Amino acid sequence: MLPRRLALRTMATAFADQLRSLTDDALGALLQLRPDLVVPVPSDVSALAVRAQSRGSVARCLDALDEFTLAVLDAARLSRAEETALTSVAAVVELAAATVAPQDVRVAIDRLRARFLLHGPEDALQIVGAVDEVTSPYPAGLGRPADYLDPQAAALCADRAKLRRAVLAAPPGARAVLDRLAAGPPVGALSSGGTVAEPVQWLIDQHILVPVSEAGRAPRADGELVELPREVGLLLRRDSGPLGPLRPLPPTPEGPVRESKSVDSAGAGQAMEAVRHVETLLEALSAEPAAVLKTGGLGVRDLKRLARSANLDEPSAALLIEVAYAAGLLGEADAAGTGRGVTASRASGLVDEIFLPTGGYDLWRALSIAQRWEALANSWLAMTRQPGLIGQRDDRDRPINPLAPDAERAGAPQARKEALAALAALGPGTAPRADEVLELLAWQAPRRARGREAAHRDALAGAAALGVTGLGALTSYGRLLRNEDVPGADADPLGAGPGGGRVPGASDTVRTLDALLPAPVDHVLVQADLSVVVPGPPEPELAAELDVVAEPESAGGASVYRVTSGSVRRALDVGYSAADLHALFQRRSRTPVPQALTYLIDDSARKHGGLRAGSAGSYLRSDDEALIAEVLADKRLGTLALRRLAPTVLCSPVQIARLLGALRDAGFAPVAEDAGGSAVLARPKVRRAVTRTPVSSRLGEQPGPPILAGPRLAGVVEQIRRGDVATRAARRAPVTVRAANGQQVPGLTSVQAHTQAMAVLQQAVRDKARVWVGYVDSHGATLSRLVRPVSLSAGYLRAEDERTETLHTFALHRITAAVVED
Amino acid sequence: MTGGPLIVQSDKTLLLEVDHPDAQACRMAIAPFAELERSPEHVHTYRLTPLGLWNARAAGHDAESVVDSLIKFSRYPVPHALLVDVAETMDRYGRLQLINDPSHGLVLRGLDRIVLVEVAKSKKLAGMLGARLDDETIAVHASERGRLKQALLKLGWPAEDLAGYVDGEAHEIDLAQDGWTLRSYQQEAVDGFWAGGSGVVVLPCGAGKTLVGAAAMATAKATTLILVTNTVAGRQWKRELVARTSLTEDEIGEYSGERKEIRPVTIATYQVLTSRRGGAFTHLDLFGARDWGLVIYDEVHLLPAPIFRFTADLQARRRLGLTATLVREDGREGDVFSLIGPKRYDAPWKDIEAQGWIAPAQCTEVRVTLTDAERMTYAVTEAEERYRVAATARTKLPVVRALVEKHPTEQVLVIGGYIDQLHQLGEYLDAPIVQGSTTNKERERLFDEFRSGSLKTLVISKVGNFSIDLPEAAVAIQVSGTFGSRQEEAQRLGRVLRPKADGRQAHFYTVVSRDTIDTEYAAHRQRFLAEQGYAYTIVDADDVLGPPLPQVD
Repeated sequence: MLPRRLALRTMATAFADQLRSLTDDALGALLQLRPDLVVPVPSDVSALAVRAQSRGSVARCLDALDEFTLAVLDAARLSRAEETALTSVAAVVELAAATVAPQDVRVAIDRLRARFLLHGPEDALQIVGAVDEVTSPYPAGLGRPADYLDPQAAALCADRAKLRRAVLAAPPGARAVLDRLAAGPPVGALSSGGTVAEPVQWLIDQHILVPVSEAGRAPRADGELVELPREVGLLLRRDSGPLGPLRPLPPTPEGPVRESKSVDSAGAGQAMEAVRHVETLLEALSAEPAAVLKTGGLGVRDLKRLARSANLDEPSAALLIEVAYAAGLLGEADAAGTGRGVTASRASGLVDEIFLPTGGYDLWRALSIAQRWEALANSWLAMTRQPGLIGQRDDRDRPINPLAPDAERAGAPQARKEALAALAALGPGTAPRADEVLELLAWQAPRRARGREAAHRDALAGAAALGVTGLGALTSYGRLLRNEDVPGADADPLGAGPGGGRVPGASDTVRTLDALLPAPVDHVLVQADLSVVVPGPPEPELAAELDVVAEPESAGGASVYRVTSGSVRRALDVGYSAADLHALFQRRSRTPVPQALTYLIDDSARKHGGLRAGSAGSYLRSDDEALIAEVLADKRLGTLALRRLAPTVLCSPVQIARLLGALRDAGFAPVAEDAGGSAVLARPKVRRAVTRTPVSSRLGEQPGPPILAGPRLAGVVEQIRRGDVATRAARRAPVTVRAANGQQVPGLTSVQAHTQAMAVLQQAVRDKARVWVGYVDSHGATLSRLVRPVSLSAGYLRAEDERTETLHTFALHRITAAVVED
Repeated sequence: MTGGPLIVQSDKTLLLEVDHPDAQACRMAIAPFAELERSPEHVHTYRLTPLGLWNARAAGHDAESVVDSLIKFSRYPVPHALLVDVAETMDRYGRLQLINDPSHGLVLRGLDRIVLVEVAKSKKLAGMLGARLDDETIAVHASERGRLKQALLKLGWPAEDLAGYVDGEAHEIDLAQDGWTLRSYQQEAVDGFWAGGSGVVVLPCGAGKTLVGAAAMATAKATTLILVTNTVAGRQWKRELVARTSLTEDEIGEYSGERKEIRPVTIATYQVLTSRRGGAFTHLDLFGARDWGLVIYDEVHLLPAPIFRFTADLQARRRLGLTATLVREDGREGDVFSLIGPKRYDAPWKDIEAQGWIAPAQCTEVRVTLTDAERMTYAVTEAEERYRVAATARTKLPVVRALVEKHPTEQVLVIGGYIDQLHQLGEYLDAPIVQGSTTNKERERLFDEFRSGSLKTLVISKVGNFSIDLPEAAVAIQVSGTFGSRQEEAQRLGRVLRPKADGRQAHFYTVVSRDTIDTEYAAHRQRFLAEQGYAYTIVDADDVLGPPLPQVD
């Protein structure tokens, strides 16, 4: 290892020189391939060289490479000469091109050289040192050479014929182990039980496998490791080539190719659904807001309720709620301001915050369906949430709720972008299975795709649910959506919210989707069973009208409403008159308005307002109509604002006491009556103070203190004695300490300076003397303690308390005084 | 966008615009898998149900063809999720099969082993399954066939029943088509039923359901048990069978409260079958009395609960349910489907009317205004008595008379639900009354007189709701009923729908008290007919009493 390190160090300047010798174009090309090199802009080429060889930059560059290029890089690592750590294009090609065309390998090498992961002349290629640090220690899944691991294994490997015989002689169980290790990674853990499985033991005995436990590796709890020497691995891979199976080209998904028209149609249908469902969910939330959980997010019960209201399954509802939130259509509000019955609906008691549709929701609703969808889709692309996690269990086995912090995944937007890009790269209408897409992504950037399978799956599921894809293939408008998103998304990730500065109808996505969506209709079909069919998506104005006058029954491409007496009453309540309603149906209906509807409206209108309700402060009634008329006409009673409800009843906004007083002053003789109608007779009251208990009775209630006796008395005495001792001990503390502790010491007001206290403590540490220390504890109380300081360092005083034989630690800044015991 | 006639809704309803040029083609395409739910004048509503989709699977339609026809006729893009759902639902059918194993008898076989394991573990199937024969087969007790099918349906894994039907005791029955032939829709109904083996045929009142039954018997050519609502209906069946088939009087037995005859064709009433003595059903032996090849349930929407239970044991026999209105106010339509069989044939009333097989009917709601005294009485009545008070208001009497007088040449039925009111009406109109206490003999006599025309007006109680064949009745006036029962309304309309000799129009009046619960119930009652496309005209009682109505026909 040592010579290689040395070589690397001397080569560092060579790397910078190579960069320096590049043309401007070539340097520019490198910076394009590795954009992170110029953030921030390096001061000179040396700095650039250092950065280009840094772990972070190299790792980032490797992340973007496909499976084949990485395999070729592994080949380069394998083909390094032991002494010089150099390799050559020819060597790499020879190693890698066992199963693939040399041309492909050369292209991959060029890719690596363009990125300066490999640098230097063709016959003396150097690998950037950081590559070894950020990639697997086993290039191409091969173990280390045998002579590095174990002399006996090396001896075996040196004799290729013997090695071959040994491997061929392996019993089936051992052979299976070998095959598994040969496919990589080449190390395996032995079970911790101490007994080694028979096949493995056989292999170890034959020195085909080498137990490894060298220093530098953390001891493994689950047992020892065995490693397959590189030579054995290469022997086992003689069919597939030394690097294992290579795929120079990305795997092609075999999914069926759908007609792009039906893809668009299914997608547009789904897009329409998504928009409609978001609306339904938010309406349901607006009618009955959901509480924000203490841990953040929306409760399971609320999710169930919302899903039911929209006729959705819970995962879909959760996705749409997340998207609506990301799009700014949904937000938290103070529960107090709304005065709704949220607190009553929850057993947990008081709720501070609730989820409600935002003002942006109303703006969003005014947009066309395509625009609404685009707002949702863009928010979905940009949101750092992984809705697929909702409903699953977190580390502590608690379910993850929608809008809760647990579903936050910073990598989600990137995962969506990758998944959609993978789909977009396929031919139009190709509908690959999710597994195929994942495999493709794993090929394109294996280092990045690892561990993100769930995120990618979630992205595909979300795309299908929102209608970005249809029948499993990317829709035409979905494709546009992605393109547009590339420049805009990062600058304004949540700007997709309603009216986020976007010119309405400007985007290609909206135009394409608009063409696919049914045109809004402005008419209805009214039928004799009082159902109203809107044969298409209603215009916003029509929808608003129908929402008032009819109950929705079925929704989708078209909507079905039913007019009921309840809905007509609601319309009358908000100010429609019967004539308005007749005119409304006349205007909107393509078919003759059925007589049943006309009658329903007329009947409801006739009954509407048949009862009138209001509030009054008091009423006045009499069987004598003339008397009532007289009161009403009396000018002196004008302040009572009396109003005649019936010939025999008047009402007034003032309270009854004032009414009675005013009437009596005017010379009338009213009598008050209670809720049941019987007269209430009032006698004038004489004023009195609040009743008090006589002193004598109070005395009687309180007997003198009980006389103590026996053990209880002894206990009390002991308690007093103990208290006395404690007080005396405290008094023994020097005056300075007590004063510093805020205890009243007459005649002494000065407080010891902090430096002085420190000096005392330092001296005490040296002398091992006992010291009174006054300090402020964590509750702010002042205390004093007699201790023997042990050490004074790092802002803390450590001291032992001889009485309790404990070691105390005091923060120095809390110490107020220190005095040596006299 | 294809501009098709169909709109597919995400709640799985299909809206079919009737006036669209492709509407008929679309109806043919979706009828096999979608159930007609409502058929008002402009837009018919179909529904995609798992049951309907599975029936389509059973009839040989695959998911691809269903999805194709949806997409082909849909006006707007069909949501992707719905298509997926259709395909997944249809895929569940037939994973399990009920077959007759030569050595073990009835067995449940799973083509998908995991499904079989899943259902075998279900508590709902406890006791229905026998021993496990091998990985793919489980023995089934023959008596549990019906209940098992029902339970599997509820679990969402419908079994394909390949165990077949017993032929029953053969008995020669032929249709005697002298001077008449089976109508096309009747033939389609019989064919649909026979192909499916068991099931329900829904045809409007007066469309000749008895003949569908007779034709089914002629196809089966086996002994038949016919279950009817009451004795009078039973005798009508007998009369019809004697007239229309090769059966003679002696071959048909009546099993009722009065007579207990068991013959190759036996007509029994629900009432006698469900009558109990000492808590036990004493007449159940009838089901086993002969080796019946066919069981016909007339007016299947009225099937009493105990019959459901007996029917579960009859799964090896062919079962035919007949009804005009498969709406049950108790919501047990699902049980009818799973025990007797799925809907095999359904025709919108208006279609049959358009073909001239039932009389066109004019439905009119006459609203009477209660007198102030009546309103006051109504206002202070307890909630449970309110409908009776509103429905039996005396103010209705002159209106009924005016309506009767408006049709001097027609045969008029006055139908009501309250005996007191009927007696008042009888006196007021000077017409005889048929009610529950009227003897069968007296009923027969009055009905005969009415049929012959010597009796012009007849007042009948609820007994007249069903299965009375009074072909010449052209006007029905309904004064009160069983609250908001939709099927009662339809059945009563059915009384006047038998096609008239000269093709004249039938009139159906319902007299309701304005601004009372009577109006609300009337609206609910009318819903079924409104959904079938019957538009009610509302007139004011004053118009009936005052100047004559303009003649509409």
